[in-house]
Amino acid sequence: MKPLAPLEGLELAEAASAPGATIRTRRRLRLSWSMRIGLGILGVYVTVAMLSVFWTPYDPLAPGVGDSFLPPGQDFWLGTDRLGSDLLSRLMTGAQYDLGITLVAVAVALTLGTILGVIAGYYGGVVDVVLLRGVEMFQAFPGLLFAMLIVKAVGPGVLNIIVVMSFIGIPDYLRLARAEVQARRNWPYAEAARMVGNRAWQVAFLHLLPNSIGPVLAFTSINAAFVALITASLGFLGLGLSPNTPEWGNMIARGQDAVMTGEWWISFFPGLAILGMTGAFYLLGDAISDLTDPRRRR
Amino acid sequence: MTAALLSIDRLSGGFLGADGGIAPVLDAVSYDLMPGQLTAVVGETGSGKSLTALSVLGIQPPAFRRTGGRILFGGRDLLSLDAAAMRTIRGARISIVFQDARAAMNPVFTVGRQMADVFRLHHGGSARHAMDRAIEALGRVRIPEPERRARQYPHEFSGGMAQRAMIALAALICQPSLLILDEPTTGLDVTIQADIMTLIVELCRDQGLTACLITHDLGVVAETCDAVVVMHAGRVVETGSTEQIFTAPAEPYTRRLLAASQLGEPV
Amino acid sequence: MSDYAVLQVDKLRKIFPLAGGRRLHAVDGIDLTLHAGETLALVGESGSGKSTVARCVTRLIEPTAGDVRINGRSIRPLDSVALASLYREVQMVFQDPNASLNPRLSVRQVLHEPLRLHLAMPRDKREARARALVELVGLAPAHLDRYPHELSGGQRQRVGIARAIAAEPNLVILDEPTASLDVSVRGQVLALLRRLQRELKLAYFFISHDLPVVRHMADRVAVMYLGRIVEIGPTAEIFERPAHPYTRALIAAAPIAQWGVKRDRLRLAGEIGSPVDPPDACRLVGRCPLEQPSCRTAEPALLTVANGHQAACPITLGQSATLGQSALDRPMPSQTAA
Repeated sequence: MKPLAPLEGLELAEAASAPGATIRTRRRLRLSWSMRIGLGILGVYVTVAMLSVFWTPYDPLAPGVGDSFLPPGQDFWLGTDRLGSDLLSRLMTGAQYDLGITLVAVAVALTLGTILGVIAGYYGGVVDVVLLRGVEMFQAFPGLLFAMLIVKAVGPGVLNIIVVMSFIGIPDYLRLARAEVQARRNWPYAEAARMVGNRAWQVAFLHLLPNSIGPVLAFTSINAAFVALITASLGFLGLGLSPNTPEWGNMIARGQDAVMTGEWWISFFPGLAILGMTGAFYLLGDAISDLTDPRRRR
Repeated sequence: MTAALLSIDRLSGGFLGADGGIAPVLDAVSYDLMPGQLTAVVGETGSGKSLTALSVLGIQPPAFRRTGGRILFGGRDLLSLDAAAMRTIRGARISIVFQDARAAMNPVFTVGRQMADVFRLHHGGSARHAMDRAIEALGRVRIPEPERRARQYPHEFSGGMAQRAMIALAALICQPSLLILDEPTTGLDVTIQADIMTLIVELCRDQGLTACLITHDLGVVAETCDAVVVMHAGRVVETGSTEQIFTAPAEPYTRRLLAASQLGEPV
Repeated sequence: MSDYAVLQVDKLRKIFPLAGGRRLHAVDGIDLTLHAGETLALVGESGSGKSTVARCVTRLIEPTAGDVRINGRSIRPLDSVALASLYREVQMVFQDPNASLNPRLSVRQVLHEPLRLHLAMPRDKREARARALVELVGLAPAHLDRYPHELSGGQRQRVGIARAIAAEPNLVILDEPTASLDVSVRGQVLALLRRLQRELKLAYFFISHDLPVVRHMADRVAVMYLGRIVEIGPTAEIFERPAHPYTRALIAAAPIAQWGVKRDRLRLAGEIGSPVDPPDACRLVGRCPLEQPSCRTAEPALLTVANGHQAACPITLGQSATLGQSALDRPMPSQTAA
């Protein structure tokens, strides 16, 4: 009636011989083509934006550095606008505004939205309901319309635009982070984390957040493309920065009449700049979601 | 000696790696399934027991590459058949029951409808007649109120009920000569598991079916199977009658597996 | 040794409200006592509520009613800070070692956490203790740098066990610790658990559906069905003289890897009932071959069968008293082996 002796002798053998003991797998980040192109284009934008702080061919704000409506040529590579300002200099300086606003707004929205999302997802209950209802009210407005209303109310300015853009982004980050954390909240490793002495907030932010952040990060580039477009749209509609600011949306607006009379370059190049930047963000977004999608890993 | 219904003859193969190399997983696997017998193929994770059985049906994972061997079914090499010929064998001559029956069924059709469709595919006849056969089959596997159950969807079935329906489909609707059961009771509660195993043994006896039970659990084998094939790390370690494997195992691995399985049982 | 039971569960109840005012009685008034150094197994099939008990006992979910005392201290009123300190005394080993290890933490980080948070050890001491822990569970110090996906299933479970014993609890809840392991690894992990119990004087609350494992591990067994304990007693008693029809059916159905075993053929009809708004009747009604009309009129209480052995079936127990043990004299499961 005595139970068979367990396999004591084998105990260490298994520990030593199992495949995991000898083969160390390493996750390798293989850059896809969309990732490389996206990163390359963004690299150019960042370089140009930084360079423009110290040097541009001409003063971007000065009128009359050349004649009005000069087509792209030797002296002015991208031509001049109605006031005779150098388009290339303005375009370079514009990168500071459009790229800067986009990056800061995305960073703020990512941070706040993720924190709120983790809280809603982990704690659930009333906190979750309140946050989610708030977000739903917010999202009932189309993004551009909402931005227009707010900017109209608080007035233009770089800071205001950043605040508005961040606000528009927060709901999406909140929902994403909430869904990811909620899916993992009752996982055994969350319970185990609780039992080794972590407080609730530590479980949420130190254990669940790092495992949930993938899809949230993938979304940043989609969000960035959106922010870049809305920022330019506000500028185009005259609701953004002061009209003389070399922001790309402003610049398109300033050139739109001239398009009719054949001076296409004034609107064309800022438009191209916006297209290139949003395109780069979308390419990156694709690449990141490929990387973080568990079905495509390995 | 009678001829085997299915004969796996030195089947070897491996998974195609990213670098184009083949990591071997099956090493000259050979075993026979004798007609009318219930044969267990027993092994732990990674033994290759399921992979071998899936290869019989030609439904092995796409990354698997065969490097040698034959699978003879009624004298014909299944591996030499083209896709069309294989389709006529799959289901009609050889059918399979998977571990998770609910996942194996289509969630948007009723259970009866799915069974009737398979019946018509293999045997033709009217929809009415096929549905009657489906209901009859559900009754045969002791599903209470088969008429009502036939009108339900897979998610309305419990795991045990769904597995019964799957067995009805594979054994009674398809009427194959060989039934492969891939861990049919894993994940089910022990009382349900015992009922299902009893049912499998009864059906095989009544229908004169040859069956192959793939399992990691020697416990379910002892009372149900006629013969046992023990696999480990892509090889067949030992084959024999159930009595022989349990009372006089020849190989050290079989003895170890047996000892590990008998944990806590009085000897 | 303290005067208290390590774990004392009193009339524990966990009821999940459902839509339409219905109530799911996952755990419906159970009492359990677990003494220092003892292994008490809680056995049941899926839907029996055994995992809910494990989570109520650690307050990973909130019990609806009843009391749970760990080392004499009631856990019900504890706030989150006090609860964190409670987890020094009670730990858990989870069923699926894949899911219970954070994929982003190395074994070292996993083991440092309880040492830092529970014991407030400085880093160098933690490292020494982490090395001792991995060796205690049969791994090598080199494993400290590994991540969960670089370990085999058995190794992961060893890490889960090391984490559980790191802060030196005296009660460990084992929630199906071998259910997702291969049989050969299962034996090794169980041997490790037994060795640790001896060396560290641990009490185990062992949740399982696997009867052979329970028989191998437990001192006492409690059988649970639809939220109720239907039978409880010393392991040998339960396996050799099961009194409740459900226990008998469970033992009769458990697969046995032996040739020529004669066994009890008691089978239950149908499948497990619903825990939603259960009637005031025996929960086995409709499935039990020994059912009598009286089974439908009241929920049977636990009756004493023998010293320390109780079962909630007046039918079998009544029979054995009046009919001269006819029900209990039948050759019981699995023991009359070859």
